[in-house]
Amino acid sequence: MKKNTMALVQIVEPNTPVDKSQPRLAVGIDLGTTNSLVASVRNDVPVPLADTQGRFALASAVRYLKDNTVSVGRDAKQCASCDPYNCILSVKRLIGRGLEDVQQLGEQLPYRFQDGDSQMPLIETVQGCKSPVEVSAEILKVLRQRAEQVLGGDLFGAVITVPAYFDDAQRQATKDAARLAGINVLRLLNEPTAAAVAYGLDKQAEGVIVVYDLGGGTFDVSILRLTRGVFEVLATGGDSALGGDDFDHAIANWIVQQAGVSSDLEPGEQRRLMRLACDVKEALSSAESTLVQYKAWQAELSRADFEQLITPLVARSLKACRRALRDSDVELEEIAAVVMVGGSTRVPYVREQVAHMFAREPLADIDPDKVVALGAALQADVLAGNQADSDNLLLLDVIPLSLGLETMGDLVEKIVPRNTTIPVTRTQDFTTARDGQTAIALHIVQGERELASASRSLARFELRGIPPMVAGAAKVRVSFQVDADGLLSVTATETRSGVEARVEIKPSYGLSEDAISRMLEESIENAEQDRKARGLREQQVNAQRLLETVRAALQSDGNLLNEQERALIDEQLEKLEQAQQGDEIGAIARQIQQLNAATHEFASRRMDATVKRAFAGRQLEEV
Amino acid sequence: MANAAVAKALVSDMAKPTSNFFSLLELPLDFTVDLALLSHNYREAAKAVHPDRYASASDQDKRLAVQRSAELNQAYETLKSTTRRALYLLNLQEPMDEEATVQDTEFFMQQIQWREELEDLSDSEDIAALEVFKKRLRQLRGELDIEFAAVWQDGSQRELAERLVRRMQFLDKVLYEVRQLEERLDD
Ligand SMILES: Nc1ncnc2c1ncn2[C@@H]1O[C@H](COP(=O)(O)OP(=O)(O)O)[C@@H](O)[C@H]1O
Ligand SMILES: [Mg+2]
Repeated sequence: MKKNTMALVQIVEPNTPVDKSQPRLAVGIDLGTTNSLVASVRNDVPVPLADTQGRFALASAVRYLKDNTVSVGRDAKQCASCDPYNCILSVKRLIGRGLEDVQQLGEQLPYRFQDGDSQMPLIETVQGCKSPVEVSAEILKVLRQRAEQVLGGDLFGAVITVPAYFDDAQRQATKDAARLAGINVLRLLNEPTAAAVAYGLDKQAEGVIVVYDLGGGTFDVSILRLTRGVFEVLATGGDSALGGDDFDHAIANWIVQQAGVSSDLEPGEQRRLMRLACDVKEALSSAESTLVQYKAWQAELSRADFEQLITPLVARSLKACRRALRDSDVELEEIAAVVMVGGSTRVPYVREQVAHMFAREPLADIDPDKVVALGAALQADVLAGNQADSDNLLLLDVIPLSLGLETMGDLVEKIVPRNTTIPVTRTQDFTTARDGQTAIALHIVQGERELASASRSLARFELRGIPPMVAGAAKVRVSFQVDADGLLSVTATETRSGVEARVEIKPSYGLSEDAISRMLEESIENAEQDRKARGLREQQVNAQRLLETVRAALQSDGNLLNEQERALIDEQLEKLEQAQQGDEIGAIARQIQQLNAATHEFASRRMDATVKRAFAGRQLEEV
Repeated sequence: MANAAVAKALVSDMAKPTSNFFSLLELPLDFTVDLALLSHNYREAAKAVHPDRYASASDQDKRLAVQRSAELNQAYETLKSTTRRALYLLNLQEPMDEEATVQDTEFFMQQIQWREELEDLSDSEDIAALEVFKKRLRQLRGELDIEFAAVWQDGSQRELAERLVRRMQFLDKVLYEVRQLEERLDD
C-alpha cells in the first residue's frame, strides 16, 4: 500500500477512491417508461453514452424471442404490433404494482397476465412468465454493457433515477431489477432532483427551482431550494400514472369514436392504433393540424381539438403543482426558475399552461430527454468519490407519500408525513387493546388517504410472544426508518418484555429475496468457476478498500483513540490483511466483520469530529 | 389473530429527547431562533453526516451516517417549527404530559367558533373568505409565539407555557384543516 505522506494536514474524505488516477466507473441511469439513457462524467462534464450506432436513447422495450434470446430497444419496439404478447413496452407502469393496480390503470394492456405468488403481475411470454422486475433488468443489462464498453471497464456502481412519486414498492422493485442486472446501486435518485442538479450546477443557480417532469407514463413535480451546492427538496408531488401515454389514449379514443370502430381491438391492432395516436400527437407539437388516417377512415385533427382532449390531463398535473407549492410554503414570487423535463413537455399546450401557472417562461435549454441522466451521472460521480471537492453537491430529498400504520377501525396513523426529509427515523408507541393479548398485527401503508383499505398496502407483519397483560399495559414501540434511497424498514419491540420483530419492507408486489437469489444464480449458472473467482475477487477488493479506509482514518484521526483502543484496531487490521492475501472467501468476510466491530466506536467519534470540523470551517469562513 | 388493529398511540416520540437539538445545530438554547443560521448550520452538518458522503465507505459507516442524518433531520424539523420548538424546550425542562386533559375554557369557546366557521366555509366554498380566515388564524398563531417567548423560561409560569403550547397545537391543526379544504376546493 502507498504511504500517505501528507497525512498530517490532509483530512481524508470517506468517499475517496483507492487510487485517484483511476476514477471509479460510475454512471447515472434514467430508466424511463418510454426511453432509457445512461450517462457518465468524463473530464468533469456529464455526457450521455451512445450505443455502437451513435444513438443515446434506448427504447424501453423488451422482446422475448422463441430462440431464447432477448432483444431490447428499437427493434423490440418495432415488433410491438406483430408480436404483442412477447414485446413488453412501458414496463415501468407495471413495476412494483399489483395485478389489481395494473388493471385499474384504465387501459387495455395487450399482455396475458398471470397471478404471481405475491399478487405481482406476471406476463406470459414465449420464454415463460416474466415479472416487471425481470423485464426492467433486461433494459438495465443493456445499459450496463453499453457503459462498460464505452468506459472500458467494470462498473463500480450506478445511480438509478425513479419518479419522485414512486412509492416504496416501486422503488424496491427498481432496486431489485438493478441487482438482477448485476448493477451496484449507489443510490436511487428522484428524477426531478436529478434534473435540478444538472440545471443548478450548469447555471450556477441559487434559490427556488421548480421541476415539472412529464414523461411517457409518469408525472412529477418537485420544488427545491438550492443554496451553495446543497439541493434541499422542499416538496414533491405528482402522479405515477399520468403521462404522454395518456395523451395517446385520449387521441386513440377520439379516433375510435370518430371512425365508429369497435373499441375492443385485438392486441396487435391496439398497438397499431396507439402508435398512430402517438405519431399524431408528436406531429401536433410542430404542426397546427394533421391528417389522421385509420383504415378506410380519415379526418383532420387540429391542435386546438387535441388541446381540448388533453385539458383534463394537464389540469391534473397543475393541481399536483399547486399542492406541492402549498406543501413547500414557497410563494410564487420566490421561484427563481421553472425547469421542464420529459418528452411530453414538448407539447406547446403543456408549456403554455405551466408558464401561466407559475407566471414565468419555463426553461428547457438542457435537452429534456437527457437532463435526468446527466444529473444522475453527476451524483454518481460524487458518490463514487471521484470528485476532489465533494462539498460541491449534496442532495437532501424527501419521501413523496406519507407512511403509516393501520389502527383500529381501518384508520391510518401517519408515522412519517409526506415531504419529510430523508433519511428519517420515527418511533411511535402503541399498546394492546384486549386483556391477555399476546400478539399484535402491524399493517404498514403508504399514501394520503385516511382509511387503510384505501391506501397502498406495503407489508403486514406480526409481533408475537408478548406476555399476557391487561389491555393497555403492553408498550409496543414501532420504529420506521427510511434510508437515503427512500426505502423503508420497520421494527417493533415490546419494551416491557423485550420481544422484537424486524422487517425489511419487502412489498407484497415485489420479488422475494429467494426469488432474486435464484434468478441471480440461474443467470450465472454456466459460469460457476467464474462466479467463485469473481466472488473472491470482490471480497478481496472489499477487504482492501476497508483496510485503506481504516488506515487513512487512523492517520487523520488516530488521536481520537487511546493506546488500548488503537492496539485492538491494529490487531484486527493485521488479521484482515492476512486473510485478504489468502483465497478463503469466508475467512475474509469474517475478518471484515471483526474489523468493522473493532472500529465501531472509532467511526462514531470520527463522525462527531467531522461535524465539528464542518462548523469550524464555517466560523473561519465567516470571520 | 382476532384483533388485527393496533390501539392508539400513548406517547409521542418527542417526549423524551435523547440529545439536545440546539447543541447539535450549534445554536443557543432559546425559543427565539435565527432561522437563517438554523438552516445554514443544518446544511453544514448535513454535508458532514449525509449517507451520500459515505456511499462507498464500510457498511458500518453507512449505517451510522443514516442514523446521524436522521437525528439531524429530526433536530432541524423540530427547531424549524415554533410549535415543536416550544414543546421541545418544555420537555427539556420537564416532560409535558400531552395526553392530559386540561381545562382552557376561554380557548375552548374559541375552538368551537373556529370549527363552525370552518364548516360554513366548507359549505359555502368561498375561497376569498377562506383566505381571510387563514390570515386571521396565522396572525393569532404568531401572537402565541410572542406570548410563549415571554414566559417559557419562568418556572412559575409553567402552566401558562403549557397552555400556550396546546393552543399552538390546536391552531396548527385548524390551519392544517384549512389547507385540506383548500385542496378540496381546488378540484
Ligand atoms: N415532440 C413531441 N411532442 C409531444 N410528445 C412527445 C414529443 N416527443 C416525445 N414525446 C412524448 O414524450 C413521452 C416520452 O417522454 P420521456 O421523457 O422519454 O418519457 P419517460 O421518461 O417516461 O421515458 C412519450 O409519451 C412521447 O410520445
Ligand atoms: Mg423520464
